[in-house]
Order: sequence, then structure tokens, then C-alpha cells
Amino acid sequence: MMRFIVLLVFLFLYIPIAYVVASSFIDGGEITAKWYVKLFEDKVIVGAFYNSLSIALLSTFFSVSLGTIAAYAFLRGSQRFESLLYTPIVIPEITEALSLLLFYKMLSFPLGFYSVLLGHIAFNIAFVFVIVKARLSTQLRTLEEASLTLGADEIQTFLRVTIPLALPGIVAASLIAFTLSWDNFVKTVFTTGPGFQTLPLLIWSQAARGVVSPSLSALTTLMLLISFLLAYLYAKISTRRE
Amino acid sequence: MRQFLALPSLIYLTILFYIPFLIVILYSFGFPGFTLKYYSEILDPIYIKVFINSLTLASITTLLCFLLAYPVSYYIALKAGKWKNFLLILVILPFWISFLLRTYAIMALLTPLGLMFTYTAIVIGMVYDYLPFMILPLYASLERLSRSQIEASYVLGAKPYQTFLKVTLPLSKPGIVAGIILVFIPALGEFVVPAMLGGTYATIGTITWDLFLRYHNWWKGSALSVVYMAIVLVAILLYIKRVGRIEL
Repeated sequence: MMRFIVLLVFLFLYIPIAYVVASSFIDGGEITAKWYVKLFEDKVIVGAFYNSLSIALLSTFFSVSLGTIAAYAFLRGSQRFESLLYTPIVIPEITEALSLLLFYKMLSFPLGFYSVLLGHIAFNIAFVFVIVKARLSTQLRTLEEASLTLGADEIQTFLRVTIPLALPGIVAASLIAFTLSWDNFVKTVFTTGPGFQTLPLLIWSQAARGVVSPSLSALTTLMLLISFLLAYLYAKISTRRE
Repeated sequence: MRQFLALPSLIYLTILFYIPFLIVILYSFGFPGFTLKYYSEILDPIYIKVFINSLTLASITTLLCFLLAYPVSYYIALKAGKWKNFLLILVILPFWISFLLRTYAIMALLTPLGLMFTYTAIVIGMVYDYLPFMILPLYASLERLSRSQIEASYVLGAKPYQTFLKVTLPLSKPGIVAGIILVFIPALGEFVVPAMLGGTYATIGTITWDLFLRYHNWWKGSALSVVYMAIVLVAILLYIKRVGRIEL
């Protein structure tokens, strides 16, 4: 009985995904890759792809840099103000998105690439901070102290002990930050302006009207593939550490 | 000295996270003037109904997720054997896919079934998206519960249902509370699922969208968000009081 329920739940979780992937390869009963060819010929889609990619890469770079040094800062000593750095995780995304929109409106900040990017960085800093801090274990603290005792100065210790030990955590955080930014929808839709589209916004503009089409399924499949790839890399890095 | 390295992040979040929040509160009171009119508008029966819609939907979602997730988490934690890691991967993988894509997937399946734009479709979509958020914390707490505790209960003569009700269930309480919080709070403000699968069905999420992006009524939208945030804060505080800390 329990096994049956478990099986049903996993089928429920994966049949829709399998269905989307399968339907993106079918045209009138025949197997085809034509929906994918069409995607790459569509200038709007290719443009949105580059927009998504640049937002994701830049927001990853900035949030990982800021979040990592913040995690490093809170590793020793007072934990005061630490909760300020992870609060964004527990706040519902829609609230965060609309407050950013109001902020930009109040400052008359132009909506588009930069408004989206700045918002994505804010959200990602919190995640990077939590992940890197969790991975910078107590073991690191001991090894840093050992290094200092053995005569290395603060900078040498940072470069030759801290950074190498923290690296798996930093890479893991980068993958998560990239994923969160790459397929973000709610924050992007609230903070974007006319003319700036990312792939999720493109999917939304059609799906919100109830349209299910093979080319939309092909685009979704490509995005799923990228998510799975990121998840795979993450798992690889996490297991290597152990 | 090292503490100062946290300053860039703290300043960044102050400007792009905390100040925007204060602005929402300002707008909810009618910025640049001061009025309580937007809050009184939010207490209009139409909006009360929206809140009730959202609370009902979030409750149904949480309950269904719990009923489906518990056997799955129990199975993975205590019975799966060599399948354990594989099943865990299947639970974690959806976390890497955005709600938009997952909701599109469920939409692609519901369309040929003729279920689109029904309440059933919304509920199916909500459970589909939020289920992993219930399975994982339940799994984590059931995993910590040692097998010997269950065996002890059997040895002492308890029947399976007695063991479940008196040992397993109470010991997995932290996981249950975490799962409920992780599903209920975001489900309450969920926008993507009702908007895509439910047509014109009104929830806090869809009304927030309309007020901000369609009608540009920042003031009323802000008042609605502040009320929503107040509900969320009460829920989080209750959680911290019960479990003691936030654990993700």
C-alpha cells in the first residue's frame, strides 16, 4: 500500500515533465527536431536567451563576491546583524518584487536591464551567504588558527588556507545563484521595463494566455535541461567534498 | 576588523531590500500624504473574500501535500534501502526547476485532459509545485528518528498503528511544522499557479499583480501587501516559538 502511494507520487512529479519533453519532439505523430530549429531561428528568443544569460552570470558574480566575504566576516566573533543577511530568503518573493518596483518608481530609476540585475543580486546575496557560511565549517576555523600559529600572516592564511577550503562552497553557491537568477520569473516581471525580456518572461507571455504549443514546450525542455545540468554539477561538487 | 567585510552586503541589502520595504509601508498609508483609506478599502468584502480564497487554497494545498508527502518521506527515510539515494535525488531535482516551468508542465498535461481553468486545476498545480517542499523537511526529521525507537515500541507490544501514532508521528513533529511553514506561507501569496491554471480566480497573488502591474494602484497594492506580510510574520513567529529556529 505505502509502496503504491510512493510510486504514484513519483509518477505525479515526473509525468508532466516527461510529457513536455516528449511533446517537444513530436509533430503530427512524427518525431522531429523542427521545433528546436525554429527556436534558434527566432531572433526574439535568441535575444531573450542572451538577456537571461547576462543577468544570471552578472548577478552570480556580484552576489557570490559580496555574499562570500560576508560569510567570511561572520565566521568568527559577533553574530550580530547576521539575520539581516538571510531574511530575504524567508520573505515571499512577490512582496520583495513589488517593493523593489516601488523603490525604482520612487527614484524614477529606469526599468530594464539594470533594475532587473540589481534586484537579482539582492536576492542571491542571501542564498550565497547561507550556503557559503554553512560550508565554511568549524574545521576551517581551526586550520586558520593553525596557519596563523605556524607563522603565516593574515593575508597568506586567507589566500592559501581559507580560499582553497572555501572553494567547494563558493562553487556550490555560484551554481545555486545562477539557477535562481536564470529562471527567475516573479522578481523579473515586476522590475523589468518595456523592451527587456528574459526567457521566463517569454514563456509567461504565451503560457499566461493558456497557450500550450510544441515550440513553447521545446523552449521549456531546453531550460529544464540547463537546470538538470546545474543540479548535476552541484551534486558532483557536493559529493567530492565528502 | 574582519566584521567590516560584511558591510558591502549589509549596505546592499539595506538599499535594495530593507528600504524598499519601508517604502511599501509608506505607500500603504497614502504616501506622499497620510490616510488609512487604503486599509479600509482592503477590508471591503471583495478583498476579504480574496483573503479567504487564498487561505482556503493554501490550507488545502498544505493538507494534500502533507498527506501525500508523509508516506513518501517515511518510505525514503526508513524503508527504501538501496533506492534511498535515487529517490532523494528525484525529490531534490524539482527544487532546481522554477515554478513557471513546472506549472507550464502541469498545464501541458491538463490541457488535453480538459481540466484547465478549473479549481481542480489550481489545486493540482499547487500540490505539484509545493510537494517537494513538504517531502524534504519531513524526510529530514524522519531520518533523524532512529529505527531502534520504533523497534522498541514494537518490542514493548505496540501495534503498528499505535507505534505510528505514539512514536513516529510525535517524533517527526519538527519536520511537520517546518513543512507546513515552507508550503503554507508561499502558497498563500502564490501568483503563478492560479494565474496560469485558474483563469480569473482571485487570490492575494493575482490581486497583487493586478493592483501593481495592471492598475498601477501602488497605494492599495501596498496596503494589501502589508496585510499579507503581517500574516506571514505571525506565522513565522509562531514557528520560531514552536521550533526555536529557522532551519532550511
